Amino acid sequence: MNRLYLTAAVAALALGTQAQAESLAIALKTEPNSIDPHFNYSAVNIAPLSNIYDPLVESDAVKKPIPALATSWTALDDLRWEIKLRQGVTFHDGSPLTPRDVVYSWCRAPLIENSPSSYATFVNKMASIEIVDDSTLIFTTKEPNPLMWSDLSQIFIISAAKMGAEETVTFGAEGCTGMGEVPQSAVFSDLGYAMGTGPYKVTEFNRGEALRLEAYDGFWGDKPDYDDVTIRTISSDGPRVAALLAGDVQLIESPPIQDIERIKGEGFKTTETKSARVIYLQLRQDMTETPPMMEAEGNPLHDQRVRQAISYAINRQGIVDRIMGGYAEAAGELLAPPMFGTTGRAVDPYDPEKAKALLAEAGYGDGFKVTLGAPNDRYVNDERVAQAIAQMLTQVGITTDVDATTASQFFSRRNKLDFGMFMAGWGSSSGDTSSPLNAMVATANKDIGAGGWNYGRYSNPVVDEKIAKALVTVDDAEREKLLQEAETIALDEFGILPLHYELTVWAMAPEVHYEPRSDQRTAAYLVEKAE
Amino acid sequence: MSDLTTTAPRRKDTPLRRLARQFLEDRIAVAALAVFLAVALFTLLGPFIVPQNPYDLAQLDFMDGGLPPGSQSFSGMTYWLGTDTQGRDMLSAIAYGLRISLAVSFTSLILALIIGVAAGLAAAYFGGRIDTLIMRVVDIQLSFPSILIALILLALFGRGIDKVILAIVIVQWADFARTVRSSAIVERRKEYIEAAHCLGLSRQRTMFRHLLPNSLPPLIVLATVKIASAISLEATLSFLGAGVPITQPSLGLLIANGYDFLLSGRYWIAIFPGVALLITIVAINLVGDRLRDVLNPRLQK
Repeated sequence: MNRLYLTAAVAALALGTQAQAESLAIALKTEPNSIDPHFNYSAVNIAPLSNIYDPLVESDAVKKPIPALATSWTALDDLRWEIKLRQGVTFHDGSPLTPRDVVYSWCRAPLIENSPSSYATFVNKMASIEIVDDSTLIFTTKEPNPLMWSDLSQIFIISAAKMGAEETVTFGAEGCTGMGEVPQSAVFSDLGYAMGTGPYKVTEFNRGEALRLEAYDGFWGDKPDYDDVTIRTISSDGPRVAALLAGDVQLIESPPIQDIERIKGEGFKTTETKSARVIYLQLRQDMTETPPMMEAEGNPLHDQRVRQAISYAINRQGIVDRIMGGYAEAAGELLAPPMFGTTGRAVDPYDPEKAKALLAEAGYGDGFKVTLGAPNDRYVNDERVAQAIAQMLTQVGITTDVDATTASQFFSRRNKLDFGMFMAGWGSSSGDTSSPLNAMVATANKDIGAGGWNYGRYSNPVVDEKIAKALVTVDDAEREKLLQEAETIALDEFGILPLHYELTVWAMAPEVHYEPRSDQRTAAYLVEKAE
Repeated sequence: MSDLTTTAPRRKDTPLRRLARQFLEDRIAVAALAVFLAVALFTLLGPFIVPQNPYDLAQLDFMDGGLPPGSQSFSGMTYWLGTDTQGRDMLSAIAYGLRISLAVSFTSLILALIIGVAAGLAAAYFGGRIDTLIMRVVDIQLSFPSILIALILLALFGRGIDKVILAIVIVQWADFARTVRSSAIVERRKEYIEAAHCLGLSRQRTMFRHLLPNSLPPLIVLATVKIASAISLEATLSFLGAGVPITQPSLGLLIANGYDFLLSGRYWIAIFPGVALLITIVAINLVGDRLRDVLNPRLQK
């Protein structure tokens, strides 16, 4: 095999770059932690896996729905949706896609054990999924669901037969039947299980090395421009850029901002777009005793004035200008305005004097000690932003240390509520504020799928009620008003502190074209040959 | 032995004095020693002469981040070697970083030396099963690359200065044990040890007052080599992100921070700490080389 590659490489060199055009190499910043599409609800996994699997509905570059495995989704009444399944779709082993696969996939998603971030949120909204005929399904939701398309776009469809399901799989009020023995994520080490209906099939997945893909001839949609794709992960910024400049890869995501000028100078291209992602601080505020990784009397973060002080101590524009090199926008909300549900709320002012006064008023004039948790390979300049925040907090008297680790370590510790204060990011999957509000602001309640990422444990019944209502209100004007009210209350109580909206940047070789996407997805099937 | 005629009995030519005299004959070694002493002095006095405490976040301002060498801060302070992205004055950061690097390596060296010497002497003196046991442990340990052992240990313990020290001690004690044992075995068979036995001296006294001083020369050479390797091991671990915490960067971490900016032309963030590390290690190694020459009887005139 190696010799073959070598020969090919020599031939390619001899013929110039033309001969290599069919294969593509991409470098990502963060590595997916499984190729089980139901293991981890995280953009890190979804982006590479979207090459292999398809959901019912897809979203385009600007978060508008486009048909995927479903050709249409029509509301029959407040709760019932008729889904028309695309005909002639086959899995990578050639077997046809059937409604049973859809039901099975929706049933399996919440059953994955040890999921760092579960898909149950979406599945729990459904009361039942019925199979009407070979091309029709009826999804019944528990409550009216104005963002049905967005929920339908979350679950990747896999083959029920391959997973060992029984002949009939049902999803009813009593739960699912006919599931057989549900294979857990570990079985995906056998690549045969990593089988979807997507444009590419997996040929190799070695963690720490590469995900190799090969175009699937029987794909139902447009054939992607490149046949052979290697998706590597290079988490260090410098080497990722170097790989692009050296020609090892043709497309990289989030090139370090300081290198963009250099990249352009060498004849490479960059594209960028405002993302639906906000970087925020969550503060553990429910408990009265001292939260983990903090040295203080009681829990200072329980006091709204302290949370306000923290927000006022942060120079958001400074971070944007100096750390982000202008490739971000200071945030006053959980989603960049003017997206749906935003209010145009002003960015909290940078006022260290006021912050000190508020701390004194709250009885923490002498400050306290806290460790700020953050990932160091997930968001643009995350570790540096965290250090800058630590500086600014220390300057108003809150002695802050930074504990920055790789994303996988950071998120699993965060999910165990190991941090009293941490920095992370949230990309709105629905393109409106309902996603961040329901995930991070609503009171944590597994049973109704609310507050699944509310690791600050902010809780306000009034806000909960508005969010819950917004989620089931179909009237757009009414829904937007509810979302705006809920967001304003939560932010004015400093339940969560937005920092900035990321601008997402891609850098690529001149022969490649990549349309920037607001969901920050980097996927091989979206890469085109430049004109 | 010219001493016999010129010096009084109290000022006889001790091995140490002979060593010093021979060492000073080599100019390069003397220069290296001077450089090392200057570095040591700089790290000791650093906090009093550099303009900033880079570990006190309240003194940093990231708005001053990434300035080239010679820039002025808002408050009029000059950043002679520029700043990193967090607004750390590189000169101050290097002074403090060197302090951590040297403190970590010297502390771990001394601890490794104590453990290694005790184990090595015990093995040589008692022989038999104790010898076998200790030496097999040493063999096993030496069969793994030290960076690998250190990385595994730090992955288990987590980040922190104390943990780095512990990791280096665990990596390095075995070398000392082996060296001390081999030279002690030679010494053990000499008459003066037998004499000590005949005089009825205690084991500890024989081991530490008689056996140890005479086994010292190879140990001194090894220690200088090992101090340099401890410094670079610490720097490597920190560079890989497994060492000291990011708010208290040592040289390795400073280089790692600057590494991201090499492509964009902000060379000073990585280069200056790198040069400091290079100078320190080369100086120590030159001193070590000369000591080895001086202490090697075969190279004696």
